[in-house]
Amino acid sequence: MKLATIGVGNAGSKLIDQMIEFEFETGRNLCRHALVINTARTDLAKPRNIDGDRRVLIGDTHRKARGHGVGGDAEIGAEVAKTDIDEIRRVFDDVEIHEVDAVLVAAGLGGGTGSGAAPVVIDELQKMYEEPIYGLGILPGTYEGGRPALNAARSLQSFVNKVDNFIAFDNDAWRSRGQTIEQGYEEMNEELATRIVTLLAAGEVDESEVGENAMDSSDIMRTLEVGGVSSIGYASTEVDVEKQGLLAKFNDAEESESESTDAAKIKGLVRRATNSRLTVPCDVSSADRALIVFAGPPDVISRKGVESAREWLEQEADTVDVLAGDDPRPDSSNLAAVVLLSNVTDTPRIDEIQNQAVDAQNKIQEQDAVREEEIQSLITDDDNDLDPIV
Amino acid sequence: MKLALIGVGGAGTRIVDRFVRAERDTGRSVTNGNVLAFTTDPRAFDRTTALSADRQVVLGDAHPDVTRRGAGEGNAAAGERSRHSRAEPTEAGEGSATETAPEGAPVTDGDSDGLTDAITNYGVGGDPELGARVAQADRPEIRRALDPIEETDVAATMLVAGLGGGTGCGVGSVLLEELQSIYETSVYALGVLPATAEPDRRTLTAARGVRTFVPLADSMFLVDNEAWCSDADRVVDRYEPINAMTVERLLSVFGAGERDCGSVSEMRVDSADIQRTLDVGGVATIGRETVRVEPESRGLIARILRLIGRSPETDSTAVDASMVKHLISRALQSKLTLPCDITSADRVFVILTGPPDTISRKGFETGRYLLEEETETVEVLAGDEPIPGAPELTATVVLSNVTTVPRIERLQRRAVAIQTDGDPNDKATSATDTERPAATKSTDERFDRSNPDDDAASHGFDFGDTGRDLGE
Repeated sequence: MKLATIGVGNAGSKLIDQMIEFEFETGRNLCRHALVINTARTDLAKPRNIDGDRRVLIGDTHRKARGHGVGGDAEIGAEVAKTDIDEIRRVFDDVEIHEVDAVLVAAGLGGGTGSGAAPVVIDELQKMYEEPIYGLGILPGTYEGGRPALNAARSLQSFVNKVDNFIAFDNDAWRSRGQTIEQGYEEMNEELATRIVTLLAAGEVDESEVGENAMDSSDIMRTLEVGGVSSIGYASTEVDVEKQGLLAKFNDAEESESESTDAAKIKGLVRRATNSRLTVPCDVSSADRALIVFAGPPDVISRKGVESAREWLEQEADTVDVLAGDDPRPDSSNLAAVVLLSNVTDTPRIDEIQNQAVDAQNKIQEQDAVREEEIQSLITDDDNDLDPIV
Repeated sequence: MKLALIGVGGAGTRIVDRFVRAERDTGRSVTNGNVLAFTTDPRAFDRTTALSADRQVVLGDAHPDVTRRGAGEGNAAAGERSRHSRAEPTEAGEGSATETAPEGAPVTDGDSDGLTDAITNYGVGGDPELGARVAQADRPEIRRALDPIEETDVAATMLVAGLGGGTGCGVGSVLLEELQSIYETSVYALGVLPATAEPDRRTLTAARGVRTFVPLADSMFLVDNEAWCSDADRVVDRYEPINAMTVERLLSVFGAGERDCGSVSEMRVDSADIQRTLDVGGVATIGRETVRVEPESRGLIARILRLIGRSPETDSTAVDASMVKHLISRALQSKLTLPCDITSADRVFVILTGPPDTISRKGFETGRYLLEEETETVEVLAGDEPIPGAPELTATVVLSNVTTVPRIERLQRRAVAIQTDGDPNDKATSATDTERPAATKSTDERFDRSNPDDDAASHGFDFGDTGRDLGE
């Protein structure tokens, strides 16, 4: 697939940046255009792989932003995006939209800029283009607290209503002990970038052989077109390079033997991808459609294995709409399986965020209601005997 | 966050002066030279070292009720003035103050807003009404003086004043009004509340000051001298360490991310985060806690072991997460600049400053969640400020719009009693600690003990860190 990508806010921008890095490292070519939008000047300077003129600062004239972020306030995030929408459109005008298959908008949903500005940007894109627009949203973890949960729950509604498909990533599922803040976010971004790029870049191998079983962009888009929320699973294994060597190929007997081990390996890989950490934990059987991409050296992708893996996933996901295909990477030293579960409807983590958000909203409303009164009562003595100076 | 700092009166001037020095010492740049100090008694500038002469503004030069220092002219001029002022129908009675000034000269190390227990008779003589009148009369001069402050350079402005002083409170009130009317950006205030051992008049002035400043400021930080003085201390001996503590905390909050050589922060604090925390108005207070980080656990070998996954999982990693969480917890439980019921906070801000390889993500997140649970608010803004190689890790917590503050209630009750007792000006000239009725004192003490949030007793008075230079 060929994508135009937009990162909104700090998390979204860094993710797009990481995707480009991963692409570059693995010789893929997915993100034809990359644009980052932020309200904080310093955060906008962070990405390493985005050109200077593809970074858009919004809200620098807004009284509460001034190029220093929106302080986690999604309302201001949305407001400044609306105000500066012409600026965003102007930068996006350079994108040759007919050269891409879809647009991907990435954002962290806990912060103010991502949650508030991204839906505004998506609205505008939907007005301008026919191409599908996908969302990639990072959900805040439980421990990030009530305000991020409220931002996320509200933004998730906008995202899912406006995009053609929403790929969710749950921070909580990827928290691990012993990480510093820096490592934590970096590792998470790497994991997510690996999944997204491996999935969406399938079918974009220009120079190399295109097998008959190759995955095509249209297959991926077909799987995504049901809308809703999607989750991605991933597993990879080292490929024994020697086995692919010339010697091994001479030995027919060994080849047929290795064929059956390869088939088992492939099926095992897909099971692992589906049962391991999904980008957002979900009940696999609630998926509407599913798709498997095998990325790796073509001669280790056993047809038998692919078919039995596909059948297994059909059972698990309880849907007949399961596509499987290859993304041949002759030079790769590992074989990866990416499983896309499209329109999963049973995602406990999203329910949790919604509950946390409702509690937070109630708390915020309670505080708003008594704020002025409490300040007055604090600064005034019981009988109001003390006068202000001026 | 870039901040213009404007000190008013003796205490305000000293805090701003110290802040500028601390900025230099810690390599942070917050004010960018956008500082000013206003006083009615030029001797407030005697001890400043970082404020250049063009940043020092003396108000009331020409005002008939302001007492100037100066040899010779004393008696006659004062007599002249006191007659003059008696004629004015003001309640403040600066007459009595000026009358005793020349010969009494009770204050030898002269400072109008709190370097001594007594109120000096110079400047506005501790009279906030006079302070306000002087400032009103000097409004054009104030505006001119504010010209060098580049509002576009800064995200907000903060007025710093001792609330018990005539200049800090009186001139400060008018100045705060003025700043709000000319600046589009937020105007915060920081006020110092007098200790009970200070003259009664300061208590009354401060109680009225709180009433005046809080509605005018976008948010008001308070520092309570009472909470930071123990019985054994003379209040006057505490001013230095309290100011140092105040500046250290202010700099931790507003100086986060304003370091020239800082590495890139993952969760950078931007000025919008601080501003949103303070947006709700009311009274704010700051807590802080520091821990030394063991160099061993951060050594090269430990780091390599961690990288290749050979690190003893239970050892270093677990320690890191709980260390960070406990540090945040202890900052919340630490002695706040103004002790209060932490559950009454409206919004909370936390910043972790220290070596990035010690800031555990899990510890940071659970610590932030703990703040949310302990303060019963969902608006917790958090960030980190990585300082590679720093020997300590610090958590600084801002509680914004705290509304259950026993200390302010006590201040108000005493102020009302003082006001009802009669002319506060008599006390202004003569009141000392010993003159305060014993009954009042014991009542205060009872309040102190019954207040569970005033953790002075349990924490002792560890000023150990205030003597050191700021930051690391």
